[in-house]
Amino acid sequence: MKPVLFVLLSLLAAPLGRAAYEEKDPPKQLNLEDKPPAGVRQLPPRAGTNEDRYPYYGNVPEGMVPFHTIEPYYRYWTTRLPFRGPGRDYPDPPDLKSLKVGLLSPPSYGPEGARGARTKKGVELAFAEANAARKPGELPFEIVAREDSPQWGSAANIAVDFADNEVLGILGTIDGDATHVALRVTLKTETYIINTSDPDPTLTETQIPWLTRILPDQRQESFLLAEVAVRERGCKRIAIFRESSRPGRVGVMHFVNFIRRLGCPPVQHLLFKPGDTDIRMQIQAIKAADVDAVFFCGQPEDIGRFAAQFRQAGIKAQFFGFDRLEEDSFRQGAGSAAEGTTIAYYYDPNRTDKPWLDFAARYEKRYGEKPDSYAAYGYDGARLMIQAIEHAGPNRWRVRDYLANLDSYDGVTGHMVFDGRWDNIAPMVMGEFHQGAWHFRPAPPMRQEERPTITQR
Amino acid sequence: MKTKLLSEKWWMTLLTAAGLLSAVNVFADPPAANPSPASALPFPLIERFENYTEKDGLPAHKAHAVLKASDGRLWVGTYNGLLVRAQDGTYHRYGPEDGLSHKMVMCLVEDPQTGDIWAGTMRGLNRVSGGRITAYYQTDSGLPNNVVYGVGIREDVLWVATAAGAGALNLKTGSWKIYDHNNSIMHEPWCYSIACAKDVVYIGVWGGGIVEHDPKLGTFKEYRDPDGDFQYILVPDSGPINDITSWVAWDDGVLWQATYFGLARYDGARWRTWVAAKSPLASDFVNFVWSHRHVGWVGTDRGVSVTDGSTWVNYLVGEHGEGLMEIHRPNQPVEKRTMTTALPNSFVLGIYVDDDDVWFATSNGLSHGVFAPHSKPATVAEAR
Repeated sequence: MKPVLFVLLSLLAAPLGRAAYEEKDPPKQLNLEDKPPAGVRQLPPRAGTNEDRYPYYGNVPEGMVPFHTIEPYYRYWTTRLPFRGPGRDYPDPPDLKSLKVGLLSPPSYGPEGARGARTKKGVELAFAEANAARKPGELPFEIVAREDSPQWGSAANIAVDFADNEVLGILGTIDGDATHVALRVTLKTETYIINTSDPDPTLTETQIPWLTRILPDQRQESFLLAEVAVRERGCKRIAIFRESSRPGRVGVMHFVNFIRRLGCPPVQHLLFKPGDTDIRMQIQAIKAADVDAVFFCGQPEDIGRFAAQFRQAGIKAQFFGFDRLEEDSFRQGAGSAAEGTTIAYYYDPNRTDKPWLDFAARYEKRYGEKPDSYAAYGYDGARLMIQAIEHAGPNRWRVRDYLANLDSYDGVTGHMVFDGRWDNIAPMVMGEFHQGAWHFRPAPPMRQEERPTITQR
Repeated sequence: MKTKLLSEKWWMTLLTAAGLLSAVNVFADPPAANPSPASALPFPLIERFENYTEKDGLPAHKAHAVLKASDGRLWVGTYNGLLVRAQDGTYHRYGPEDGLSHKMVMCLVEDPQTGDIWAGTMRGLNRVSGGRITAYYQTDSGLPNNVVYGVGIREDVLWVATAAGAGALNLKTGSWKIYDHNNSIMHEPWCYSIACAKDVVYIGVWGGGIVEHDPKLGTFKEYRDPDGDFQYILVPDSGPINDITSWVAWDDGVLWQATYFGLARYDGARWRTWVAAKSPLASDFVNFVWSHRHVGWVGTDRGVSVTDGSTWVNYLVGEHGEGLMEIHRPNQPVEKRTMTTALPNSFVLGIYVDDDDVWFATSNGLSHGVFAPHSKPATVAEAR
């Protein structure tokens, strides 16, 4: 080697030995195990990183992830954001008379009112049981209950009211928009939310480290329904028929993406307004598209009515929908048209394990009715919040640490597994309506495609 | 021939040693006793922090916003009231008992024409004028929602970012306009921040990126995360880093976007984006950014980052509460210094900067950053 060339190479090598910017250590993990929790898909090593801690993108298979053939510049959600602020060592509030928890419910007169009432019953049962078990001298738990109103931003004002009442945590609510605006406030007031009933996939995408959602979201439901419709049933021409609203828009978002990735983009995407009775134009369009499946998203009473009209019009397509078609109003509206309808659901409500049967019996004894998923998740959410307060004491930041560090929880609804966004990604079930009743079965196993070739940037 | 070979070997040995020594020298931490002069940086360095906590009279641990008014008084929005600090260091607190609409003060702006202070709270908007407070609520004014996260003033119009849309109060006529998903480009009306620029107003929208509004033309333009998904950045420097905007700031043609997914900057022609794992940014969780002469002062949950887009200085808090300074220059090794003082807390919620000094609102008190001696730009052009 020529001496001069060697000099140049030697001198050039020196600065190249160190990056212009020092690479920082990855964020410290918070009491986490080395592997994803049991029951959840183990991620294969991802090109370019070995830091993945949690299943990515709602635990859906790699092939369903957007741009899955490209390694993006940077991925979120594979680790949990910490909360680095102070508060854990703050003294307990003086003169406490009770341990307050806020409960945000949808307006009782609105479309989600009945579901909110059932959630509240589950919450109240949990609080009644917890207070009955309190020892002498221990402070009782208290629910600070507030109803939302159908006005943008109302939930923000209620979340401020909760802060004024010095609640230690918040439960609720069903509406995605209301939960979003409440979360924005609680990020500032530093109060943890356990959401028990909002399936909006975007809720946890904000990655705010002040919320856990204990029910699987519509991203997971959408994947299972797409899997069954396209791969299991062989449907190729799928129509979307959804409510013209934010829940309708974000509800079908992932189903549309998943069937597109499976090679079957929707052949129709039509809207209706809640309460619509005349859908002749939509029926005409769906008939003209010669569909073999219809995916519904909306209130079950609307969907039931539409399903009946579709069948009367001679549409023979298979019907698919989200969990709430399990409610009686769907079958009542649909009549015989409900036959064969397929839904994704959170758990098998006909199961016979002791925790579920005991809870159902206690609930039925108190309220004279069987619990549904809203009541059950309300109960589980309240139990989890109570457990966190019992463990952490009357300190919002320690309550947050307890909840945000949970990887799993066993409730009456079953075994929950929380991912990097604090979403429950426990396996769901499929429900099919046959001969007047819903029949549930485990969801089909996820197909783990081979990892595609990654384009490195 | 033999002599020549020996000579070449000797040269190679000598030069290899020189190269290795050079490499070792670069890898070594720079000596603390020989810090680079502050004047070598494109913005002033903080020499020390002077902290004020509850022990010093702050009415709460948490300060959300800080603003130095044109009369020199310092206004602080805290978790428990609005605080004003006179130049002699005495404090006066305004609370709900004084007419303040709510104790939690989230944002502040001064009307440059009148000297009035506008304070957004968790329940209503307030004007402090001559020591008197006038409160505005969604039920008795055109305020879109009681939760006011951001305020800004441009010409005669006060802009507010609320939980249910942006509001514009004409300070001459007292009339309000509301901008939300019904009459603007924003698809959801969850507004978080206002930045008033020369000709336009920028609205930071939670889930909607940044909305640019031209009041004269009445037009709206959206800046959205180009990959359209929250779970990754597909390509860097391609647009807003995420659609969930936590704060926006503008000064002298440069727009900054704070998000809980990192930081972005737009100079009117090109976007730049930064995440902590791939840049000197202290943390992806960015609460706030203040723009001053092309420099972004970035409040994160892990301290403060200061950058002009290429040079960075981070002010962090060590495990034992000590102040840590990191200076990142392009293509140079990181220079780390231990400071004699530190921020009172690394969770930074609000910042005020001018040519003289800097103030930080943190989750555990207020902090005054005293600059090391630096030459102040005489003109804006010089500052560039």
